[in-house]
Amino acid sequence: MILAQLSLESGPSIGLLAILVSAALTDNILLTRFLGMCPFLAVSREMKSAFGLGIAVTFVTTFTAAINAALYTHVLEPLGLHVGLKLILFIVVIAAFVQLMEMLIERISIGLYYALGIFLPLITVNCAILGTSLFMINKHYTVVQGLVFGFGSGLGWMLAIVLMAGIRDRLKRAQIPPALEGPGISLIITGIMALAFVGFSGMIQ
Amino acid sequence: MVTILVAPLLVGGICAVLAALLVLAERTLVNYGTCRIDINQGGKQLEVKGGRPLLATLMAESIFIPSACGGRGTCAYCKVHVLEGGGPVAPTEATLLSDEERKADVRISCQLKVRNDLAIEIPEELFRVRQFTGVVERIRDLTHDIKEVRVRLAEPDAIDFTPGQYVQLQAPAYGKNPEPVYRAYSISSPPSDGGHVEMMIRLVPGGICTTWVFEILKEGDEVHLNGPYGEFRLSDDSGKEMIWIAGGSGMAPFWSIVRDLREKKAERKCTYFFGAVAERDLFLLDEFRALEKELPGFRFLPALSGADQDGWAGEKGLITEVVGRHLPDGEGKEGYLCGSGGMIDASVKVLTAKGIPEERIYYDKFT
Amino acid sequence: MKQSPHMQRVAARMAPGVLCRDGFVGDEPRRLELILETDASTIAGLGVTHEAIAARLGDIFDRARAGLGTPVPVGEGLVATYHEGMGRIPCPWGGCGTFPKGEVELRHAESGERLLFTALSVHMIAAHGFYQGRGSRYRIEPRAAARLLGLTEEA
Repeated sequence: MILAQLSLESGPSIGLLAILVSAALTDNILLTRFLGMCPFLAVSREMKSAFGLGIAVTFVTTFTAAINAALYTHVLEPLGLHVGLKLILFIVVIAAFVQLMEMLIERISIGLYYALGIFLPLITVNCAILGTSLFMINKHYTVVQGLVFGFGSGLGWMLAIVLMAGIRDRLKRAQIPPALEGPGISLIITGIMALAFVGFSGMIQ
Repeated sequence: MVTILVAPLLVGGICAVLAALLVLAERTLVNYGTCRIDINQGGKQLEVKGGRPLLATLMAESIFIPSACGGRGTCAYCKVHVLEGGGPVAPTEATLLSDEERKADVRISCQLKVRNDLAIEIPEELFRVRQFTGVVERIRDLTHDIKEVRVRLAEPDAIDFTPGQYVQLQAPAYGKNPEPVYRAYSISSPPSDGGHVEMMIRLVPGGICTTWVFEILKEGDEVHLNGPYGEFRLSDDSGKEMIWIAGGSGMAPFWSIVRDLREKKAERKCTYFFGAVAERDLFLLDEFRALEKELPGFRFLPALSGADQDGWAGEKGLITEVVGRHLPDGEGKEGYLCGSGGMIDASVKVLTAKGIPEERIYYDKFT
Repeated sequence: MKQSPHMQRVAARMAPGVLCRDGFVGDEPRRLELILETDASTIAGLGVTHEAIAARLGDIFDRARAGLGTPVPVGEGLVATYHEGMGRIPCPWGGCGTFPKGEVELRHAESGERLLFTALSVHMIAAHGFYQGRGSRYRIEPRAAARLLGLTEEA
């Protein structure tokens, strides 16, 4: 695959594309790492709110990943406090950002604000977001790489939830065995989606 | 050693920066600026600071929409017709509105935030509603479970109302009750006594306001109330004979109406059927019997429906049966009812059976 | 397991002082969902339904209301008396509208057994399977109610 060849070459810009694609597809935060499942299952009932939540999560992941990368490399590591304080500070940054985003959404689209309801502040405890920041640290990304990684990660999560919303829409007219209705069939579908996404794994070395 | 100082400082510093950012964001993003509210198609125009619920915004402009729960989104009393600018219906509103109400653009004003210019419609009488503070002048027992509370108004010191209207009395936070609530009570004093408001309050088991009135409220206490509200009043057609039916605290608006009639020396034929279960539920008997002498055409008919009323010389039976016995027909008559839903439904049945058309039966349904 | 946000809101509205002085959960330390589950399994074990109990109580309520405060015989040795209460109260679940206050006392003439209920408590049984928490004034024990109303064959 072309992308696999591209990743072999060095250079920051090509690396960024590889980071983006791997975060969104091959290393999908939800379908490969299984983080962020709760809102995924809860909000995927309706396409509109799934899409809206996806955008919100992408917004938060992108900027918190960038800020956390900056905090980690430029403040915590020089001070030697990176091991002990990273969790606390990452969570604080995420919480502040989610609040900021709530205000933005309330201002821009009150309809979306109502549709998301309690799930907006719940983004704070969405493990996919903290997970993104922590994975980024593991991979020793710079701030720019972190930004792209966060964006890709959020996009991947949004892709998963939008796909699920579409599938669930189809399910409304399908015949499901009674014992599997609800969480049963949703998780089975998620598993099948995860298997499908494994097919992307050859794309990036 | 340095770490112990640097780490908390760092965390604190970052939190402070983030907090400052959020405050800044709130000032800019959540600031809705000045919004214009047009009331009753140009009848009144308001310029208000946006961002607060419509109910609170109107209250700050001295326009009082009825509310029992104080804006917590549970009582559904604060409905307002919003013609323009309402935006999408909030989930907390949706649970309290019927489908017809939603189609008619009726909104729950304590859950609707003012974010932009609005055009609303409210009943004209709400413009007369004021917020009052007063002092309890007298509390007396009318029966074992009904108290009469007489309040001397302080600020403003007089109320202007039509006999038959009601006020909302505020029960403050106390005991198990964490926040003030409002409950509606008919004004039982006549308009000529504008410096006072009297109410007849019946104990409701487990009621927030009545428990406060019966167990905590004392003479000399300060109270808050607003009003007057309500459309229950005598019709302008003085040629019609009136049939009044009310028992217990349902007597309250009639006590105001009849004393007003006495002062105006009105000569309207009127029969007041006062239903109760036992003698201990009767009150103000002497006062009403005196009125029979002072008001030409006024007749007072108390009736007891309970068993074993050996000492009682008056009417016996359910009040609706008593009305049936005394009313020959509905010719030239009007009905006025006040009390619980059950009593009103039964009374409407007996009055329409006698020939009084439903348009000439007026009632204040307390439930 | 945490309570869902919806149930948390409902439970918050059932607390004392929100809709009425004592709330609807009495002295119960148990979570709302547990109360509902326990009563539901009792009902299922008795072979009756929430709707059947609520229908019978609703019928008794209407007949007592027509009595305007005098005791009304409602069959099976039972007498119901309606006590007026002014005002309306919303359902804690929200979206069900408001219900008239006012209670009905249902007494068995011989055994003296008593049930107290309101229009709201009948609605909560029918629509939500909620019999209120122990210690609440209007708590109805499903077993006792089913027997008293003649819906089960227990002695």
